[in-house]
Amino acid sequence: MTKFLAIVKREYIQRVRTKLFLFMTILGPVMLMVFTVVPGMLMAVKTEDTRLAVLDQTEGAKLFPVVRDSLMKAGRSSDQSPKAEMVNAVNDTNQQRMEKAGQRFTGGFFVTAVDARSRPLEDLKRELNAKVGGGQLEGYLIIPPDILKNSESKPIYFARNLSDLPSQGQIERALNDAVRRERLTAAGVSAEALERLSKRVDLDVYPVNEKGEEGARRSGMGGFILPFMVAFLIYITVLLYGQVVLGAVVEEKETRIAEILFSSVKSSTLMLGKLIGVSLVALTQLGIWAIAFGALSVGLLQSGGVEDIGVHLPSVFFVYLFIYFALGYFIYATLYVLIGSMVTTTQEGGQVAMPIIFLLMAGLYLAFPVMRSPNSSFAIWISMVPLFSPIVMLVRIVTQTPPLWQIALSMVICAGSIVLLLWLASRVYRVGMLMYGKKATIPEVMRWVRQA
Amino acid sequence: MNELTNLSTTVLVDKVSKSFGEFTAVNSLSLEVRPGRIFGLLGPNGAGKTTTIRMIVNITAPDTGQIKIFGQTITPELQDRIGYLPEERGLYKKMKIGEQLKFFAELKNVKGKEAERRIDQWLMKLGLSEWKLKKSMELSKGMQQKIQFITAVLHEPDLVILDEPFSGLDPVNVKLLKGIVLELKASGKTIIFSTHQMEVAEEICDDICLINRSRKVLEGSIREVKGSFSRNSVALRFEGDQGVLNDPALVADIKRNADEIVVLLSEGASAQLLLKRLIESGAVVGKFEMIEPSLNDIFIAKVTETV
Repeated sequence: MTKFLAIVKREYIQRVRTKLFLFMTILGPVMLMVFTVVPGMLMAVKTEDTRLAVLDQTEGAKLFPVVRDSLMKAGRSSDQSPKAEMVNAVNDTNQQRMEKAGQRFTGGFFVTAVDARSRPLEDLKRELNAKVGGGQLEGYLIIPPDILKNSESKPIYFARNLSDLPSQGQIERALNDAVRRERLTAAGVSAEALERLSKRVDLDVYPVNEKGEEGARRSGMGGFILPFMVAFLIYITVLLYGQVVLGAVVEEKETRIAEILFSSVKSSTLMLGKLIGVSLVALTQLGIWAIAFGALSVGLLQSGGVEDIGVHLPSVFFVYLFIYFALGYFIYATLYVLIGSMVTTTQEGGQVAMPIIFLLMAGLYLAFPVMRSPNSSFAIWISMVPLFSPIVMLVRIVTQTPPLWQIALSMVICAGSIVLLLWLASRVYRVGMLMYGKKATIPEVMRWVRQA
Repeated sequence: MNELTNLSTTVLVDKVSKSFGEFTAVNSLSLEVRPGRIFGLLGPNGAGKTTTIRMIVNITAPDTGQIKIFGQTITPELQDRIGYLPEERGLYKKMKIGEQLKFFAELKNVKGKEAERRIDQWLMKLGLSEWKLKKSMELSKGMQQKIQFITAVLHEPDLVILDEPFSGLDPVNVKLLKGIVLELKASGKTIIFSTHQMEVAEEICDDICLINRSRKVLEGSIREVKGSFSRNSVALRFEGDQGVLNDPALVADIKRNADEIVVLLSEGASAQLLLKRLIESGAVVGKFEMIEPSLNDIFIAKVTETV
């Protein structure tokens, strides 16, 4: 036990004390912000209004004012304060949320009319093309005269930049609304009836548990998001610390200390000590981040008045959350330990370890079909595969809690795999470390396992 | 009787073999290391010395045969009574010397104040006290080697195994460490000393075992080993006719050094006869000395003989 603790202590202290650790602890959240928030902000930034000319050929140019109003209003709708918007974002229905997100990606419009009757179409087009080419206009829209009567008739949009899909979508939507409204009015529907008839329908959702009891109305978002947050947490931790674990295992091979260590401790003690030591470093860093993040969000909640974040889950779920996070982290970390035991340098290990990240991502993708039918035999099998179960089983628990024996079985399989991987790694390490500077082939590794 | 020999033997290696795939590193090797003595494990590069030592310290297990340490099969507890300085050695580059030694002490179950006390004592002894708070990457190679030596003896093991401990050290440090090895012996420790530098082995070993190509070639105390080689060389210095030395019935080989001639006598010829013939030829003899074969000569003779 003294020896094990000595190894854990050394791994922990030597790593936590480095400047790199301090640097990463401070910079980590900053980088996370940069990578998650900034791209969104950049997408939302549209520096100038889209200047759009509309050539409405319909009789009396009836569509133009409707299109203009809806486009110019949409662009200016976000006059709410950011805080109010955040609160709303939490309380909105999914549908509303999607729409808002769509709006955020588009800028405002500045819409002008072109008199279709003044000159021949060819002349007007030439003139408008020149303006688009010269940069006075972003684009123009030609609405054919028969659009209200002929359902095959199509408006045409001309522009320099056809990649601004959000703006095109908005134009299309505004035009559709206008055309539908005019067609219905022409069919004799009154404006008041129109308003009343086209009101949206939203779905209310209520859960039913395995005993057939109804629960309180809620949104599915919390159940949707939490497993992915855990998956993301496992992903980030493995991404940050997998290489560290690998480096720790390879370290004594590179510094040639392994032989002294092995004359004092068992290789399994050494492997476990290293894994635990590095994991405590990870836990320390995540802990610091969690506290900082927690303090920040409590502050935000108090000032912003967000009461309901749409998560209604039994507290036992959070126990599962923790257990599966730990299992998920350790199963991938022991994979790194195994690779570390096979290779001779950290660089080499880094290359060999690449597929691990893909396995992790595969688990994430597998969670989608499982979410849609959480009790299919596919879902059951996948949730028993140790590499995927931490994410997939969590999804199943949240969506439609499986029988307890399935949860227990997946945990046992996971824990068993971790022990097996560690055992394998310590055998490979013990034999492999005697072969300094030699890259091992798979058959050789198999022989080492038998030999040790 | 058998148990008694076990008890009085620190290390007993009994018909041990070890192969790596096709390659046989150690072939049916048996040896005994007696307590309180310095045992030289000698042999050319690749003879199987390091593999033998690794099996003794329980890094690898023998394929066949058995090894007993202090009369018992090796256990993790027994490992704490062994100090090992491997030939392949290193230190944690970025760890401070003091912390590093503390870590190695803890791996041998020496903790806290006691560990600190011994670390300070050893650093002082090897003249490295002022380096305690430095990182090992700041130390010269020789200094690092002395630190590694400390890791092998810090926990006061009963059996110390040193694999080429002096290679790469300057003469002053070789002398220092040699002195410490002899001190360890005087305090009752058993030492296994592996090397291919015969001069050093000759100086400090009590017993030796010579292995070559995975097999034992020669063993015994230094005196026995040397005694078993006949004294058939003479170192000479004389003035006069050298014709006598050309008689193949008398002289098998001549080696001319700066101020002497070393003569290997032919079989059946005696030193007395050589001296008589020299005097008869009118030579003035300045030096006439029977020489013992050096361990180096024996080593070379044995190793080339078995090829």
